[in-house]
Amino acid sequence: MILQLVRRNLRVYFRDRASVFFSMLGVIIIIGLYLLFLGNQIAGAGEAAGENARFMMDSWIMGGVVAAASITTAMGAFGTMVDDTQKKIIRDFEVSPVRRWQLVLAYVLSSVCIGILMSFFTFGLAEAYILINGGMLVSLFAFVEVIGLTVLSVCSSCAFVFFLTCFMRTSNAFSTASTILGTIVGFLTGAYIPMGVLPEAVQTVIRIFPVSHAAVLYRRIMIDEAVALELLPADIRQFLGIEFLFGDFVMPAWGHVLILVGTAVVFYALSIVVVARRKHQS
Amino acid sequence: MNKIIEVSGLTKNYGPIQAVKNIDFYVEAGKLFAFLGPNGAGKSTTINIICTLLQKDAGGVVVDGFELGKDDQKIRERIGIVFQESVLDQYLTVEENLFTRGSIYGLSRHTVEENTAKAMKVTNIADLAKRRYGTLSGGQRRRTDIARALINRPKILFLDEPTTGLDPQTRKSVWDMIEELRRDEGMTIFLTTHYMEEAEKADFVIVIDDGVIAAKGTPAELKDKYSNDSLRIKPTDRDAAIRILKEAGAAFTETADLIVVPIRATIDALPLLGRLEGLIAGFQVLNGTMDDAFIGITGKEIRE
Repeated sequence: MILQLVRRNLRVYFRDRASVFFSMLGVIIIIGLYLLFLGNQIAGAGEAAGENARFMMDSWIMGGVVAAASITTAMGAFGTMVDDTQKKIIRDFEVSPVRRWQLVLAYVLSSVCIGILMSFFTFGLAEAYILINGGMLVSLFAFVEVIGLTVLSVCSSCAFVFFLTCFMRTSNAFSTASTILGTIVGFLTGAYIPMGVLPEAVQTVIRIFPVSHAAVLYRRIMIDEAVALELLPADIRQFLGIEFLFGDFVMPAWGHVLILVGTAVVFYALSIVVVARRKHQS
Repeated sequence: MNKIIEVSGLTKNYGPIQAVKNIDFYVEAGKLFAFLGPNGAGKSTTINIICTLLQKDAGGVVVDGFELGKDDQKIRERIGIVFQESVLDQYLTVEENLFTRGSIYGLSRHTVEENTAKAMKVTNIADLAKRRYGTLSGGQRRRTDIARALINRPKILFLDEPTTGLDPQTRKSVWDMIEELRRDEGMTIFLTTHYMEEAEKADFVIVIDDGVIAAKGTPAELKDKYSNDSLRIKPTDRDAAIRILKEAGAAFTETADLIVVPIRATIDALPLLGRLEGLIAGFQVLNGTMDDAFIGITGKEIRE
């Protein structure tokens, strides 16, 4: 029953080409800005990598891009849920013997599927870009890490977006929100500009934003293919957001993983509370 | 007599507005039941409550032996509903739409496939199976909507204004299909409408206005009770004709070139016509219509 609903949601999402495109828009903007303006400005940061400077900086930007994709595509996927409510299609499910929780679970599961598929697609494009510019594909081990990280990152993003979506009743509000998110996600993951350039206050916001932790991990995995991370000076690592500093404490990889898992759990729980309370009211 | 739906004391408020005020009625199994009323009378509210979509504020509803509010899932398994607005997915084909909706009833894959094929056959849309719902015409969509409502082989089919917004030809084909379902499948049909000619085809009609039941009965009973037959005569000698009518004690109204005499039954026209012979050029005897009955019941023309 749930599987059939998930299949239906996937079809509804992928058949609407425009919405698929728009859910990738945030990602396209980041790549565009990088190609047009930012690439030269930050090339200096890659000096430590020597002849792999280009490879390293491409890996850096693409790490941020893949992380951003996980959240913008999750947002696009949740559009189906908002549309169904607005167009009253949801009533068709409500007069069927399908339970409310099954319906909501199907929306979440399909968004996770879409997020994972689209993030892999983005990762594929990222690798192609790196390869074309003289870099190399990630090793098999790194690829396995990327798979795990993508699942984790998408789960966390979906939870976050699900929570946001709970407060949106109209497609209009939702599409405005997803445009805003698509635009600022580049800043929030430190992908438009290295986070070191930004004021301390903004850097703090970035450190709190769940997906930026996924971005850190993507960068670590991908940049490590170009240059061993230990060879990079600590200030460069922090400038590029390859590691986060909380006070004097450098957050280890497991810390980022823990944050992703934690935010996923917290936001799913909060969303369930909101959805359950809403049902009670109506 | 087998009552498949029983409603008693049903009440629903939207804030201070009472949409449905303490109504009672029942629907017999296998019959075509029409809910007639102007827009905003409470038709959709009532149908939505019976279909488990809206919470009632008071009263009891029993559908096929199951109590609303307690056995909602059982009720949902037994009903099909065609909404006023379409609720299917634009980008999915007719077949995909039907199959997806069919598979949320907990039936086996084989049964769902069978039901999908059957529903398409009954509604005559088999040749549209691979077309996307969004590309269909209004009439084709409506038929697909009905096919969707039939996907779980329901005992009761609800149709909320099924023909609103369709052209006359499509309206007729949709209507033929509804009658066929009742006749061939023995399905109970519950529909709301504000078209008189549709209510006229029902086995039983309830007129609802301002949230209360204003009248109920078979179409013939309603017409009998609430509308008059009339005799229309075209006089050659107007004054003489009027004098005779006055002598006979008949009430009448005059229009431009006609005199309209309300009569209890069409047969009552005969003696009058006998006396008027020679003074009239022609006449017409008309049965009361559902329109007249409706105006007689609610005191207003149907509000569009």
